[in-house]
Amino acid sequence: MSYQTTTQFYSSRRRPAASSWNRNQNTVAFVSSVKLGPIAHTVLVALMITVLGLVYLTQATRATSYDYEAQKIDTQIADLETKKGDLEVENARLTALESVQNSNVAKAMTTPASTEYAR
Amino acid sequence: MELSFQKGSRSLVLGGLLLVVMALFVARLFYLQIIMHDDYVAQATAEQVKPLTIPAKRGLIYAMDGDTPQKLVMNQTVYTLFVDPATVTEPEKIMSVVRQVAGGNLRSGIDKLIAKKDTRYQIIGTKLTRQQAEMIKKENLKGVGFQEVSQRVYPEGGLAAQTLGFVNSEGAGQYGVEESLNDRLTGHDGLLKSVTDISGVPLTIGTQNINRPAKNGDNIALTIDRNIQAYTEKALASGLQKSGATHGSVIVMDPQSGKVMAMANLPTYKPAEFTKVTDAEAFNNSVITKPYEPGSDIKTFTMATGLDKGVIQPTSTYVNTDKITVEDRTITNATKGETGTITMQTALNYSLNTGMVTVAQRLGDGNNITQGARNSLYDYFHNRFGFGQKTGIELAGEQGGIVIAPDQVEGNAVRYSNMTFGQGMDLTMIQVASAFGALVNGGTYYYPTVIAGTVNDDGELTADTPKAPRTGVISADTSTKIHEMIHTARATFYAKNDKPGYDIGGKTGTSQTIENGKYVDNQTIGTYLGYGGDSAARYVIMVEVSGKGLNLQGNKDAMPIFTDISNWMIDYLKLQPRG
Repeated sequence: MSYQTTTQFYSSRRRPAASSWNRNQNTVAFVSSVKLGPIAHTVLVALMITVLGLVYLTQATRATSYDYEAQKIDTQIADLETKKGDLEVENARLTALESVQNSNVAKAMTTPASTEYAR
Repeated sequence: MELSFQKGSRSLVLGGLLLVVMALFVARLFYLQIIMHDDYVAQATAEQVKPLTIPAKRGLIYAMDGDTPQKLVMNQTVYTLFVDPATVTEPEKIMSVVRQVAGGNLRSGIDKLIAKKDTRYQIIGTKLTRQQAEMIKKENLKGVGFQEVSQRVYPEGGLAAQTLGFVNSEGAGQYGVEESLNDRLTGHDGLLKSVTDISGVPLTIGTQNINRPAKNGDNIALTIDRNIQAYTEKALASGLQKSGATHGSVIVMDPQSGKVMAMANLPTYKPAEFTKVTDAEAFNNSVITKPYEPGSDIKTFTMATGLDKGVIQPTSTYVNTDKITVEDRTITNATKGETGTITMQTALNYSLNTGMVTVAQRLGDGNNITQGARNSLYDYFHNRFGFGQKTGIELAGEQGGIVIAPDQVEGNAVRYSNMTFGQGMDLTMIQVASAFGALVNGGTYYYPTVIAGTVNDDGELTADTPKAPRTGVISADTSTKIHEMIHTARATFYAKNDKPGYDIGGKTGTSQTIENGKYVDNQTIGTYLGYGGDSAARYVIMVEVSGKGLNLQGNKDAMPIFTDISNWMIDYLKLQPRG
C-alpha cells in the first residue's frame, strides 16, 4: 500500500496570517490513496464481528472443557472419598472391642496374679 | 438520470409485497423477542439451569476409650440396584450376573420384577457394597442402574443401642441421641444451581449459578466409655442369666461431673437391624424412660435429709418395734428382729422402714409427719435432688416421674411416710443415680450428661461446656456423714465381695410393684445403688432387675451385678487402694 503526500504544506515560519493551526501541530498529513466503498466497509465489519464471535466461542468452549475436567476430578474425589469411607469403616470394625477380644493376641493374655502400685 | 418505477408496475407490486412480508417478520420478531422475552427466558432457564442438592453428611457418633474418641456410629455409601424393565434386553444375563455378585442383597422374585415391561423402575437389590456395584457396572448391562444411599453402620454392633437410637428410612433419628440431637447431626444440605449440559454436567456459563456448599452435621462424642459400656452389658447379661430376670438396666456415672460412662438395658437390639425388632420395648432406654417406685435405695436420701436438717446423726437412736403407726396405717419392717433401741446407722444397715418414718417424724414435731416435715421432704426430694423432674439428659424419651407435693390432697402424712422408704413416688434411674452422686461427692448436683463434645475431621475432641452444677444440695458435712453411712451399710454385710482398700458403699432396694392399682406380692423389682472410689467417689452404679411374675431381690439379684462392675471399674480406672 502506497501513500502520497499532500501537495500543499507550510512551515511554521511561513504560515499565512489566516491559517488556524497552532504551535506543535503536525504540518504534514498523509491521506490514503485507497478508497473503501460501502460494501468493503460492510464486509470488514462483518469480518470483525465474525472474528469476535469466534474468539467468544473459543473462550466459551475452553471454559466448558474446564467444566468437564472439573467434573471428572469431582467424580474422582467422590470415588476416593467413598473408598476412604469404606476403609475407615473396615478399620473401625477391625479395632472394635469384639474383634480385639477375639484376636489371637487377646486370647493369649492372662490375668495378672498380683498387682503392685507405685506411690 | 433518475430511476423510478412506473405506476402499477410489477416491480412496484413485488416491492410492496416484500415490504408487507418484512413488516410481518418484524412484528413477529418484536412479539417473540420483546413482548415474550421474559417468558422464553424463564422457559430456557427451567430447561438449562438445574438445581442440584448437595446432601450434607450426617455427623458421626463417638464413644470414649479412656480419653480418646472412638467411632461408634459411622456412615457408609451403599448402592440400591434397580432395573428399567422397558429397556432391558438381556434379562437372563442380568439375573445371572447380579445373583453371582450380590445374591444376598437381592429381593425375592427378581425375574418377575425384571419382566414387568410396562414399568420403568424396579428395585431388585439393596445395600450393595461399592465393590459389588463396580463388578456389576463392568458388565455394561443395559437397563441396569444404581443409586447411592448413605446408611449408618455400627462397628461395635449393638453396643449402647438404646443410648444411640437409630436412623429410620426417611433419614430421621429415632430414640437416643439420634433423635434428641437430630438437628445437630443432620447438618444442612448445600445447593448447586447451574446450567448443565444434556448429561447433567454443571457448566460455568451463565450468570445465575449458585454454589452453596453443604454443612455437614456435627460429629458428637458421647461420655460413654466403650470399655465400661461393653463390660456393663456383659455383667448385666450374666446377672440376668443367674437371677432369671427378664429385664435389667444399669447406669454407671461419674459423680464428680455427671458424665454417664455406661447405660445398658436388656433386652436390647442391634441398631443396624432395627427393622427386625418385633417388640418396640427393646428401643426404650429404661434408665430414663421408665419411672418406678425405687424402694429402699431412697433410704439413703431420707437419711441425708435428716442429717442435713440436723434432726438426726448416724448415732442417733430410736426404739424399733418393727412397726410404726402413721395416722390410720401401720408400717412394718421387711427385716424383723432388730428391735429395741438402735441407731440410725443400724436402721440403714438393715433397711428398716421404721427408722425412715422416724426421721420423717423428727422433721416434724417428733411424733407426727407434719406439714413442715412434708415440706422439708419435698424440698429435698423434689427441689434439691430433682426427683419427679426430667434431668435434661440429651436423650429422647426422658420421663419426669411423679412426686406428689405436700399441698395436694394426696400429699398426706401416709404418702410421705411411704416416700421415706421409696414408695408412693415414681422416679427414673437417672434421677436417682444423679442425685446419689451429690450425696457422695460433697453435696454438688451435677446434671447428668451423655455429651462429651464435638470431634473435628482430624479426630480432635472439643469439649462441650457443661451445665452449671447446683452446689450445696446438702452440706459438705452431711455428705461426709451419709457417705460413711452408705459405706458402712455395705461393709457390714458385703465387704468380703469388694476389693480390699477401696471405698465402696451401697444400698439395696426391693420394690413392690403395682398391678391394677394394688401392690402385689408375687412381683418385685430388685435394685442396687452404690458408689466406689479411692480418696473420693469415682463412680456411681445403679442396677435394676425385673421380670413378669418374678420376686427379685436387691441383695440377691441386683447387687452381684453391681459388685462385678465395681471390682472391674477399680482396675479399669487404675484406682489405688487407700492406706
